[in-house]
Amino acid sequence: MTIADTSQRPRFFARGNVYLPHIVVIEKVIEETPGVRTFHFNFKDERLREEFAFQSGQFAEYSIFGVGEAPFCISSSPTRRDHMEFALQRVGKVTNALHRLGVGAEIGFRGPYGNSFPLDFLAGKNLVFIGGGIGLAPLRSLIWNVIDNREKYERIDIIYGARSPADLCFKYDLETWGKDSSVNMVTTVDRGDKDWTGKVGFVPAITEQVAPSAKNAVAIVCGPPVMIRFTFPVLAKLGFTPEQMITTLEKRMKCGIGKCGRCNIGNLYVCRDGPVFSYAQIKSFISSEY
Amino acid sequence: MFKKIGHSEIAKLLSEWSKESTVLVPTRADGVTTWAKWDGRDVSFLDWYRNTVVPPKSFLLPMLEEMFRFQKGKDGYSLELPPSDGRKQVIFGIRPCDARALAIIDLVFREGYEDLYYVNRRNNTTLVGLACTSPYDSCFCTSLGSGPGDARGVDLMLTTAGDQLLIEEVTDKGKELTAGASGLGKAAEADLISAREAVELASRKVTRQVDLKDTDKALLANFEKAEFWEDIAAKCVSCGICTFLCPTCYCFDINDEMDRQGGARVKSWDSCQFALYTRMPMENPRVEKWRRVRQKVSHKFLFYPLSYETTGCVGCGRCIRRCPVNWDITQVLNSLTAKVA
Amino acid sequence: MPQLQHEARALLEQGKVDYILGFEPGTLKFSTTPLITKNKEDCARLVVNPFIANNLSVYLPKLKGRLGIVVKGCDSRSVVSLIQDNKVARDRVVIIGVPCAGIIDLDKIEQLVSRERDEIDDIVRQGDRVAITLGNGKKEFPLVSVLADNCLACETPIPKECDILLDPTDTLVTDPSAGQQRIQEVESKSVEERWAFWEKQFERCIRCYACRSVCPVCFCERCFAEETEPQWVSPAPHWQDNMSFQIIRSLHVAGRCTDCGNCERACPVNIPLRSLSKKMVDLVDELFDYKAGTDKSALPLMASYEADEAEGVFR
Repeated sequence: MTIADTSQRPRFFARGNVYLPHIVVIEKVIEETPGVRTFHFNFKDERLREEFAFQSGQFAEYSIFGVGEAPFCISSSPTRRDHMEFALQRVGKVTNALHRLGVGAEIGFRGPYGNSFPLDFLAGKNLVFIGGGIGLAPLRSLIWNVIDNREKYERIDIIYGARSPADLCFKYDLETWGKDSSVNMVTTVDRGDKDWTGKVGFVPAITEQVAPSAKNAVAIVCGPPVMIRFTFPVLAKLGFTPEQMITTLEKRMKCGIGKCGRCNIGNLYVCRDGPVFSYAQIKSFISSEY
Repeated sequence: MFKKIGHSEIAKLLSEWSKESTVLVPTRADGVTTWAKWDGRDVSFLDWYRNTVVPPKSFLLPMLEEMFRFQKGKDGYSLELPPSDGRKQVIFGIRPCDARALAIIDLVFREGYEDLYYVNRRNNTTLVGLACTSPYDSCFCTSLGSGPGDARGVDLMLTTAGDQLLIEEVTDKGKELTAGASGLGKAAEADLISAREAVELASRKVTRQVDLKDTDKALLANFEKAEFWEDIAAKCVSCGICTFLCPTCYCFDINDEMDRQGGARVKSWDSCQFALYTRMPMENPRVEKWRRVRQKVSHKFLFYPLSYETTGCVGCGRCIRRCPVNWDITQVLNSLTAKVA
Repeated sequence: MPQLQHEARALLEQGKVDYILGFEPGTLKFSTTPLITKNKEDCARLVVNPFIANNLSVYLPKLKGRLGIVVKGCDSRSVVSLIQDNKVARDRVVIIGVPCAGIIDLDKIEQLVSRERDEIDDIVRQGDRVAITLGNGKKEFPLVSVLADNCLACETPIPKECDILLDPTDTLVTDPSAGQQRIQEVESKSVEERWAFWEKQFERCIRCYACRSVCPVCFCERCFAEETEPQWVSPAPHWQDNMSFQIIRSLHVAGRCTDCGNCERACPVNIPLRSLSKKMVDLVDELFDYKAGTDKSALPLMASYEADEAEGVFR
């Protein structure tokens, strides 16, 4: 374990009772895969629609009153603000209940919490996005952010994989990015089907194949922990330094603000000091606590 | 400033304070020592009270509390905060360790986004400390730079001096309590000496010692060693006693509950020793017991020092006294430093 | 005691077991603590005394390898119960039986002498009496006034299912009616009084789950109390949920509980849990003529059913 620098912790301003959620309304539901849905939502309060601000990489606590709260990243980009989005896999009590919701349903929302992707650091660099499954959700916010400010960044590679073609999330985005000549989009699946013509293989292996150059580059990685664990060594082999690798982590962030105690990795709390970390920050305990 | 009060005047003093504040005192019911609102008469706790099983943190971080209520009407959901309880409370007789514990919790709950449930209560609370005269054999506060008469963390500090109690006004909040209070006399030099002697005598009774000099280094060095931690955790049965009764442990859970009137979002104590504490739907980083025990020890003796330059333990010894299998943190800490040396 | 140390060491030396589970002196006065070790030298620390309260069989399901375990009568029945539930194989355990002479209940001693345990200088058992030293004074009490309630009611102090039976030190002095007294006090209440009584008890429950954690037959991988779909009890410690938790737990351990008393002993807020668990033991005996952990080849009570079985169970 290393001692991580906490001086860069985001600074907050008190603004009343932070546990009290805002009411947001579901405006659209997209079935991404059989187990994953994206929800478009907006604040019920007109003023908040105008004033609410967030950064790519931040997360929020979403709740169904009477069922409970769960943390998800904001998967839409702050550059596209007619609505906001979050995506989630159906896995437990809260996510099951969320999946049953339709357009017009009211849910609780509090946030945004946590830090965000370091846009200043990324500016002028080649960006390599590496995502797996629903791990594309936080990356997607940043990808659109970057595409909407395309002139600020150099080359863009996106390597995205899922278990099967049916498990690929955000297919409409994958298609758009695939057609974008300023983006190199690589899609892979662990196991193809009869219609699949793309790459077949695990994300770390495909990353090695694509072999993005580490020169003036930053890799932004998000996916299941096992994918993250195996991708970092590949990137290291390609010459990426720990400072050039960025990830966003997920833990059981119940309060979202560093109080309830359960999302720590060492002395860092994913909700308070993350969820965006450089590999340099977490490399020594990623095997042990993640 | 020092004042003093006779034992026989205490009830009157508490009565005066009860007019403006809820006065909480140590109490004993069904064989359990805990804290309760003063009944207006009984001050016999001054004779039997050493420390309580349930720490006074429960009056700042209640075991469970409604954060807000929600109701669905025809215009959608409406949320309602609980009526603000602006009433002041005085925790009378809090031990120095438990008061220091609250200062440690402050570091987390006042930082960044404030937790107003805690912070509002904390602001409304005055701590009247009572120096220990008969520490338990499980107490080890003196190893943590504290002791039976440590006044850091309290607003007023009371120390037994013969049949009197010496009152030290530590903070302005404390002075508000003594201002105009009846029955207070001016302390003489002899009272101060007698109080100091009582504290020294009590300090000598704290015999359990821990060497914390290299604990953080030892924890860092052994953090990844599964076998080392498996050994330490072997007899732990993963109950929540040590954490729930710990005066510095603050972890909590948030859940929704429905009732006839609608529903409420509820905050309740939680423990890092429970396997489901860190469980996510697809995985759990602390399934194995040793990881949870490592978290508990490291949080107090490594992560706290890293983040706040203080130890997250005050040496009250509750976790030792109440552990059903006698898992003893002092033994563990001493074996840690022995390993590094 | 040297006998135990010798036997345990021999088991490790001869490779008959991978671990020894026994008791060693604790770090508090009059306490013992579980010793779980692979190291034969540690066996010199093993003790048998009136303070070996824990039921070490709680560790069996999760430990790997062959296990030499020190048990009292009640504990040995828990081992049998775990064998019945396929939680541990008989050939994986070497059972070292302690002919139990009863566990001294320190809460009772504290009450008798109005001192907390760390203020007491010595507690010595002498036959059917116990001598307590406080400073210069010494007080004597009948042993039955300081033995744990479950020991007073014990019917099986000598482990039946064991591989090595240690020599007896003292004999157990029982007093079944005294052991049953607190349960009868609860039973003698009217239904309304009883409800009020339990409400008051469960109001102070902090939901630390120590009762469950120390219980060898609470071996579920995932306890019903933590299920979310459906949610049987709220995770927040409302007294109603605390009570529901104990009622359901009582049913889950019915036919498995051997009245070892550790749930009540572990409770940090003195909830008289044995008044539930022992009552359940008695009911199981009365309704099904079944004593937990006495027959390792029997089906667990709650895993078997006979057509003519007592319906009076629901009353």
